[in-house]
Amino acid sequence: MSNTINFTQTEAMLCTVSNLITEDKAYWIAIGGLPLMAMMLARRTHAPEAFYVVEDGTVSPQPPAYVPFITGASGLSAYRAIAWKDMNTMGFHCAVGYYDMGILDCLQVDMYGNINSTFLGGTYEQPKRRFGGPGGANEILSMCWGTIILAELDKRNYPKRVEFISSPGYLDGTPNAREKAGLPANTGPTYVVADSAIFGFDEKTHRMKVISIAPWITLDEVRASVDFELLVPPQIEVMKPPSEEQLTIVRADIDPTGRAIGAGKWIEYTPKE
Amino acid sequence: MEVLAEGKGFFRMPDPDGHREWIRKKSRQMKSKLMTEKEAIEKFVSDGDYLGYDLMLHKRGPTALYREIIRQKKKDLWLACRFSGVDPGLLIGGGCVSRMDIGWFIQSGTASKAIEQGKVKCTEWTNSAIVYRELAGAMGLPFLPMRYVGGSDVFSHSGAKLAKDPYTGKPIVLVPAINLDVALIHVHQCDEFGNARIFGPGLSPIETASCAKKLIISTEEIISNEDIRRNPGLTTIPYYMVDAVVHLPFGSYPGAMPGMYGADPDHTMELMMADRMGWDAYLKKWVFDVADHADLLEKVVGAKKLLDVTKMETVREGYHA
Repeated sequence: MSNTINFTQTEAMLCTVSNLITEDKAYWIAIGGLPLMAMMLARRTHAPEAFYVVEDGTVSPQPPAYVPFITGASGLSAYRAIAWKDMNTMGFHCAVGYYDMGILDCLQVDMYGNINSTFLGGTYEQPKRRFGGPGGANEILSMCWGTIILAELDKRNYPKRVEFISSPGYLDGTPNAREKAGLPANTGPTYVVADSAIFGFDEKTHRMKVISIAPWITLDEVRASVDFELLVPPQIEVMKPPSEEQLTIVRADIDPTGRAIGAGKWIEYTPKE
Repeated sequence: MEVLAEGKGFFRMPDPDGHREWIRKKSRQMKSKLMTEKEAIEKFVSDGDYLGYDLMLHKRGPTALYREIIRQKKKDLWLACRFSGVDPGLLIGGGCVSRMDIGWFIQSGTASKAIEQGKVKCTEWTNSAIVYRELAGAMGLPFLPMRYVGGSDVFSHSGAKLAKDPYTGKPIVLVPAINLDVALIHVHQCDEFGNARIFGPGLSPIETASCAKKLIISTEEIISNEDIRRNPGLTTIPYYMVDAVVHLPFGSYPGAMPGMYGADPDHTMELMMADRMGWDAYLKKWVFDVADHADLLEKVVGAKKLLDVTKMETVREGYHA
């Protein structure tokens, strides 16, 4: 009997982020989409007590796994929270250092972990394609101790330098660039999670480096999927593939309509005996 | 204080003393401020106003008040647009907006197009930066220091400054206060004087209310002042800030009112389509062909839909006194 499993790129990303979530940290999660779904998955698998806040002031709620329609637009997303506060209070708690890890998805992340969600092409005043803006990602990347950034593995999503820094990674990579700009010390992006790899940042150069790659992809393929030179340390780990249990929970409970997880190409993976 | 760098985005110069003089003239009398949405928008929203709101169109947004603003063809509004859905899209589609502070909005629709075509001028901020600037305005200050925005291109396209902190000597970002001309806030309960209660996460009800010159409250329910006094801890906004109280049950429709009703998926699809394809048919049906909110609920929405959205998301815990 074949033990081949199939999943989409989005499902792989979702399960990988979920695996990074632990019960000993406080998370500031982007209000909808994959980051929140990853938290729901972690709570239903290895981290039932995982703590999170979202920017509208909801402190660690227990919402239903599937909130229909726009996640942030439902009263249910705040169900059975510990507290209902407001956006400034979340910012204050982050500024004094309570929030360990942000989780964000983005359009583009560059070699220093800067992200763009403002525009592509043209100028700021008259852009070719205007996007929604920094949202809450700027405060999350600026003030959480660490941040996990999600971006599908594709050259367009991984430019050398983003056109517009909506939310700060390590800026130009120079020492103390963040502190010189007034951001809290010892903060910055921790991981960039793609569907087939986990990246981190070199401590000295602040450049993106490979931490682990999925068993279904080669290092050369990963290198060819970004628009800059990735740092490759001597030791690379194998990224844990999605499990049957995770995929069942994601498909049956978290996104039963498949609206989010259906995105991206399908991956077929057969674990070695 | 030594300024090390500054953004080049436009902002309205803070004027705390000017704001105080305005507030000085507002009535502190406990008198009924009940009026229709037509009266409230006519009286308290002017062309060119700097306008803010709490939450967004899809959740506890002042959606019925937005429709009245469009019905009255208000022009040249400057939106403090943070954490927004189709709010700017609808108001731009209605021809009401010429400027935006941007934290975030649902992209790819009318608002994106208006910026691309240069029809709406914008300045980049972030969600929290805008409500933090409203906090500065609510504190009667010209500016506040903060630990984000710095370093990014948001900084260089905003009205923020990087200064040397006179205490520690370290660099710190400063942002100018916002004092809105008018704020629109939809609440769960309110008495006739304007003492208002909000349940659920708030985004920025207190900052947005307190930084504004004029404040219009729309409410799902009118409660008595006696009710307010029996549970003072639940009062989110005190009456003296409030200029108008408009009784608008389902006033967030087609958005959700936490605890009371969910967002209408059919109408929201229509809204999203209009945001992308054009507003004429949408505005005719939902704004111009009805006299007011009550007329819209009766003629276009209907009792069945209202029962459906109520059944969808009625939650008791935490949402009722």
